[in-house]
Amino acid sequence: MLLQLILSGIAQGSIYALVALGMTVLFRATTIVNFAHGEMFMFGAFVVYLFLHLVGAPFFVAALLGVVTLFGLGICIERVLIRPMAGGPHIALAMMTVALSYLFRGIARIFWGREVLPMPPVFSYPPIEIGNLVLTTQDLIIAGTMVLLVIVFMLLFHRSKLGRLAQAASDSPRGAALVGINVPAFYGTMWGVSAAMGAIAGILVAPITLLYPDMGAQILIRAFAAMTLGGFGHFGGAVIGGLLMGILEELSGGYLSTSLIDVFAFIAIIVVLLVRPAGLFGRGEVTRV
Amino acid sequence: MSDAIGSTSIETGKRVGLRTAMIATMALGALLALPLLMNDYQQYIVNLTLIYCLVSVGFNIVLGYLGQLAFANAALFGIGAYSTGILMQQLDVPFGFALPSSVLIAAVVGTLIGLPALRLKRYYLAIVTLVLGELLRWTYIHGGDITRGSSGLPISTPKLFNFPIESEAQKYYVFLFVTVLILWATRNLLRSRIGRAWVAIRENELAAASLGIWPAIYKIAAFTWSGAVVGAAGALFAILLGRIEPESFNLNQLLLHFTFVMIGGLGNMIGSIIGAVILTAAPEILRNFPGFEEIVFSLLLIGVLLFMPRGIGGILVAYFPRLRERLFRD
Repeated sequence: MLLQLILSGIAQGSIYALVALGMTVLFRATTIVNFAHGEMFMFGAFVVYLFLHLVGAPFFVAALLGVVTLFGLGICIERVLIRPMAGGPHIALAMMTVALSYLFRGIARIFWGREVLPMPPVFSYPPIEIGNLVLTTQDLIIAGTMVLLVIVFMLLFHRSKLGRLAQAASDSPRGAALVGINVPAFYGTMWGVSAAMGAIAGILVAPITLLYPDMGAQILIRAFAAMTLGGFGHFGGAVIGGLLMGILEELSGGYLSTSLIDVFAFIAIIVVLLVRPAGLFGRGEVTRV
Repeated sequence: MSDAIGSTSIETGKRVGLRTAMIATMALGALLALPLLMNDYQQYIVNLTLIYCLVSVGFNIVLGYLGQLAFANAALFGIGAYSTGILMQQLDVPFGFALPSSVLIAAVVGTLIGLPALRLKRYYLAIVTLVLGELLRWTYIHGGDITRGSSGLPISTPKLFNFPIESEAQKYYVFLFVTVLILWATRNLLRSRIGRAWVAIRENELAAASLGIWPAIYKIAAFTWSGAVVGAAGALFAILLGRIEPESFNLNQLLLHFTFVMIGGLGNMIGSIIGAVILTAAPEILRNFPGFEEIVFSLLLIGVLLFMPRGIGGILVAYFPRLRERLFRD
């Protein structure tokens, strides 16, 4: 019982970590928290669904097209809506992403309304059983992708030129521009990358959660919980925060009450932010007076 | 320049005061006569407009005047509504007593929401307040017999001094009295030392602190007052609908409040009222098209953010300097 709960907690937590990673990339590069990231997740899954059912494309082609479409959408969002407000107050940028999330949800609702659509899994092998424990292949794929992505982005941000670029561009856009970095283009690309990561998460997770317009909002709040738990802008923190969230959710659902699963993320966010606002791994913000 | 303006207003101060008083009296007379021209449905929309004026002004105090990214407005609205509902239905408290009590409860909850704002900034505060709203909605759904869950809590006809408030026109007069009273108090508060302190903290917290303004106390005060104003709106909302459901206080309700404030202009009380008056009828019209409500409101928000960051209030001020928010008394 305990082992199975922990195992399904890890599976569930990998989903949160995967969504949180996409937001962390954007936050690290641009210092913007994208409240519309859940809708990137939802759109990615819906685009793939469209390619699968309207065009009849094979799964991998559809998935690839979905990721590319969302990469493009991310770049468009940055170019059309975010860049004109660059340098403006943070509060306005946050409001813009809030507005965007409602816009995308509304668009999805026009087409799908109250429908809940099924999504085929990546592979449909029977679940793996080890003793009493059950693992589905979809869980393994999600966890594997999550680990792969976190390693890639940790290497990129900590060991390559891209990381220094991101540091420079987010710390001081003006200074970065002065030393010859094309900051707007860099921001645009990172928006694209973040949206594409949202799409990857959406495509992998949709077979489990099913497709509906509010699926992004549901997962976003848990991804937020994962990020706050681990510390904003920290890759390893996002992963460990996500896994912790998943495990704690499953344990509280298994041993206390299933209705607690819904609010566990909320309580976690509030407690963590009040007790240790920087999260488990983050460093406290230092303000210069 | 300011000297010139100052001296003219001193010279004509009395006459301007008289004219303002006349305009105010005429406006009040027109508002009092309004139910004569309305059918029940139109009157219902007008009543809803009054409620949303309160909501939008209350939200603007925290979002616009204090400049804190706190999104707990729909939650406070729900607290006001559910307090009234529970007090009247479960505890048999008369309406005349339930209304001020709900305002008080919402003010206390507002204060509690303000506490994290002392430690948290920007996104962190936004996330915590969003989450608090969802947590409260979960409580309403799982509240058992107290909140009657997702089917909603019905509220019987309220009585004021043994006089039942039944028709939309009767509700209108009660709502009008409460709304005008609270808005007038808020206007005076914003022009007082407290209102000026809020703006000072918004502009630069450190500078404000160095002037002897204690940011923590004034921040809490803003959250308390905002809670009271929005809570009063929630209480009236419960009376207007006669049944309160958890889904009335979801993220879409928050989007509505947010759009009122942004369309009207951050830190502009008259703008907030204008925003609420213009947009209240919109959800009624859009209700039958799923998704359109979200699209219309989010596009409005995006348009405002990109093209008129100061909102309608800001544009009006540019043309009619008399409407400028004066944070001081003449």
